[in-house]
Amino acid sequence: MSELCWTSMTELRRMIATKKVSPIEVVQAHLDRIAALDGKLKSYITVLGDAALAAAKVAETAVTSGAALGPLHGVPVGLKDLYCTKGVRTTGGSKILADWVPEEDATVAARLVAAGAIVLGKLNMHEFAFGPEGLNPHYGTPWNPWDATTHRICGGSSSGSGASVAAGICPGALGSDTGGSIRIPASLCGLSGIKPTYGRVSRAGVLPLAWSMDHVGPMCRSAADCALMLAPMAGYDPRDPTTSVLPVPDYAAALTGRLKGLRVGILRSFFLEGAAPAQQAAVLAAAKALAEQGASIEDVDLKMVNLAPAASHAVLAPEAYAYHEEWLKTRASEYGADVRERLRVGAFVTGAEYVKGQRLRTLLKNEVDAALATLDVLLAPTTPIEATAVGQDEVRIGNQRLPVRASLIRFTRPFNLTGHPAASVPCGFTAEGLPMGLQIIGRPFDEATVLRVADAYQRLTDWHTRRPAAAA
Amino acid sequence: MEKLTVDTLRTLAKTQGLEISDGELAALLPLVEAGRNGLAAIRDIPPETEPASQFRIF
Repeated sequence: MSELCWTSMTELRRMIATKKVSPIEVVQAHLDRIAALDGKLKSYITVLGDAALAAAKVAETAVTSGAALGPLHGVPVGLKDLYCTKGVRTTGGSKILADWVPEEDATVAARLVAAGAIVLGKLNMHEFAFGPEGLNPHYGTPWNPWDATTHRICGGSSSGSGASVAAGICPGALGSDTGGSIRIPASLCGLSGIKPTYGRVSRAGVLPLAWSMDHVGPMCRSAADCALMLAPMAGYDPRDPTTSVLPVPDYAAALTGRLKGLRVGILRSFFLEGAAPAQQAAVLAAAKALAEQGASIEDVDLKMVNLAPAASHAVLAPEAYAYHEEWLKTRASEYGADVRERLRVGAFVTGAEYVKGQRLRTLLKNEVDAALATLDVLLAPTTPIEATAVGQDEVRIGNQRLPVRASLIRFTRPFNLTGHPAASVPCGFTAEGLPMGLQIIGRPFDEATVLRVADAYQRLTDWHTRRPAAAA
Repeated sequence: MEKLTVDTLRTLAKTQGLEISDGELAALLPLVEAGRNGLAAIRDIPPETEPASQFRIF
């Protein structure tokens, strides 16, 4: 096993630029590892081996010729298979688009390549991003690398992104997040991931689940790598009118490790009190670690957060239905049963209900904004539970039996409705050795502070450096 | 508010051109009802609250 596959993106970039390693070696090491492990993991739908090696040769020539190098020069990445890639099939994890080849790249895919990244392949996902478990009946359900014997979910919908980065067969990947689809697999796979503010990163060329709730962001093994990857992705895009013209700060420069004077709110009711005991303890221990470095901690309650499930139903379901309407009329049998059923629900939401959902979003956003008027970040568990076994439908939290699906999205979905930036970083392991995630929520367009807190926490802890036994 | 039934859903689905079997409609019914009831139970939205969606012409 090559140690290159566990080297951070930041370090890979440095090693390539200083000629300590060739981009060809880096790419080949990852391709070898994909060949060795992905038969079981099923994290890739399409591996672009030849194209990646060809790009690596070009990258090596640039290094040897002394050309200017981009911030991701020679660093491999994976793309969730809902990012359009010119000339390369983009399936959305579906049978319906199994042979669809886009004619242009998604803006973020093009921006990553322009920054020097080398695309290893297209990653598996819950079909059309509509499920937090990360299941897939068409390409196989990715295997969570943290359990070698039991097939556990990676979380979704970006399950292939989660499995591949956790297993060391991709150093960083793009996910997308409509109800938690970056943060949930980050939590369940022991990764760092950030859902930026709505409007910070272009959605152009990204297959939609729900236009007004979809977010694009990176999943890596550290917050520092997320900062490295997010920088070239972020910023205004004329192809996506919802992107902001606000300038993109230097995220890497924001990683000062400084926590003194930081004002932190812990989301107590609904969030912390709704989590399993292990997750509660891990988040409280994380808050204590921040406090010991000079952060002030106080409890915060979001009273409107109970509105989130109804608001999400009213907005997400009809937006998803609208995108899939024609296929549901003509090719319904080609969907997996779970996604077909969820999509059909949107056909029965009225226009008035949709607008009501959008009004509830306003209330929820205003409440989160009010909390962040006096606080820099909010903390919560990312998920109330750890990774469950594939096929398990219910989970016990305290003395309640709850559906796995609803439990997974409970703490992440509110911030898809409000659009606030939110990251997940590993904050411990359960007694069974499964990772748990800490969610860090920030002010609109203040990803820099979210990443600074995430990175500072990772300077104090080593949860993010551990490797899953199944991938050893 | 009148309770939804499989017959109601079948009619609504057909008006939209969706062919859904009775078994599938029966499985959909509790999901549609739960969403509908959850929204109906929220009655105290301040009247000045505007939808979060924006129409932008610039």
